[in-house]
Amino acid sequence: MTLLILYSLASLDGLLCGCRTSMGRCPLIRLRPYYARAIVRGFVAAQMASAIAAFALACVVLFTPHRRELVVDLQSAARRMLWIFLPYAAAVLSALTLRLLPSTDIRSASSVFLLGPLTAIRPFLMFAGALFGIYSARLWETRLLGLIVLTLMLSIEAVLNRLATDRQSLQISSLV
Amino acid sequence: MFPLSFNPAQPEITDLIVHHDPATLERLPVSKNQVLDTFATFRDHQALAAVRAIPARDAVLDPQAVDRLMLTVHWEMQRLAEEFFHGQRIYELLNVVLNAMQANSMQRPLRVVDVGCGIGYAIRWLAARTPLASQGVELLGVDLNANLIREATRLAAAENLPCRFLQGDAFSAQHAGHIYLSTGVLHHFRGHAFHYLLRRHDLPDTAAFLHYDFRPWALAPLGSWFFHILRMRTAIARHDGVLSTARAYTGEILAASSRNALQDFSSGIYGANIWGTPLPRVFHTLVGMRRNLLPAFRAGLGLRAIRLGEMV
Repeated sequence: MTLLILYSLASLDGLLCGCRTSMGRCPLIRLRPYYARAIVRGFVAAQMASAIAAFALACVVLFTPHRRELVVDLQSAARRMLWIFLPYAAAVLSALTLRLLPSTDIRSASSVFLLGPLTAIRPFLMFAGALFGIYSARLWETRLLGLIVLTLMLSIEAVLNRLATDRQSLQISSLV
Repeated sequence: MFPLSFNPAQPEITDLIVHHDPATLERLPVSKNQVLDTFATFRDHQALAAVRAIPARDAVLDPQAVDRLMLTVHWEMQRLAEEFFHGQRIYELLNVVLNAMQANSMQRPLRVVDVGCGIGYAIRWLAARTPLASQGVELLGVDLNANLIREATRLAAAENLPCRFLQGDAFSAQHAGHIYLSTGVLHHFRGHAFHYLLRRHDLPDTAAFLHYDFRPWALAPLGSWFFHILRMRTAIARHDGVLSTARAYTGEILAASSRNALQDFSSGIYGANIWGTPLPRVFHTLVGMRRNLLPAFRAGLGLRAIRLGEMV
């Protein structure tokens, strides 16, 4: 269950990364299809990262001499991570919910005062969550897996951003 | 880091890297060294780094590189307009002005002109999201920059929008509008140029103007810096975006300058604060209109009249 929640949070994060890295790169007015594609790209990236993490997890579990102990240790580390990641996700989703209100002032304010700062702290929060999870882990395998997950989570946005930058450069070069 | 040294007297990068002859509209070559010297005078290292990164040929900024950069920056800046729901904000006020004009027997078709429209976000948004075009309102964007006008035209065509974009002088006889709009343009005009820009609204058919610009206050540069660091990717957008908030005119200066330049118009500031509280908005609006429109305009605002400052 804990792993499933972590996977869901990673998918949500990927989806939002896809959206964020596409912003400011398409100057049309009707942007719904554009953002839908961006969200799908983010979701796919998160699935790829999750698959790599699952593969690493399977390898470690397969080759470790103390499998049962590792599973318990991993579950406990994952639960600790949720203490950081779940409130953050709740804050992000609440800020996004505010954007459904029909007031331009509230919607703008949610962007400036909530989504902006929440985006700013995302990398630090990723570090904090992963480190909090593995800090009191008993096995080095758990720590290693925690660091792999952290690296994957942080790379999603960087990779998507790189790809979006390249796409945009190509598009602008074709225009001018 | 946060550019505490930003001097409001200095120009923005985008003011200097592209030049068009206002009379012939011809693109003029820009000396890279001259631009660098300007920013060196202000010890603006952020601007110096951004300009140094632009390729040059024979000491002249490469026009193609500049045009690509300008498109990247304007695409990015559109995000700001999207996040602040700028289209809705313009429509909210523009519609009241149009109704006031109708109440004063001003017949449609009427022309709304966006001055310094860039890639035409405001006009394209109005064309895409409102019924104005089908109600006899011509939506026209005018800018001196041919590259931005080409892009605005391309984007409007891509979405089949009922609006037009032209390179030229927005106040010339052939482009003159009944209502003028602008966003983030006023602070680019300083001293006499600013006064002259305002005076040019006094055209026979011009009835009103709505000029949106940053509302300056103590924390605006810091807030803008934080926003741009998070949201903007190009060095130029980050630099000019923050400098804009330092260069923007106060509501008092805008209103007083407008009253001084346009004595047949009532001028004032709309939307300086949020919901009647002392909290400042990111943008405020210099509103001006022929005096006969004012009663209908006030009535049309309804509850939003609280946002309208003194109209003199």
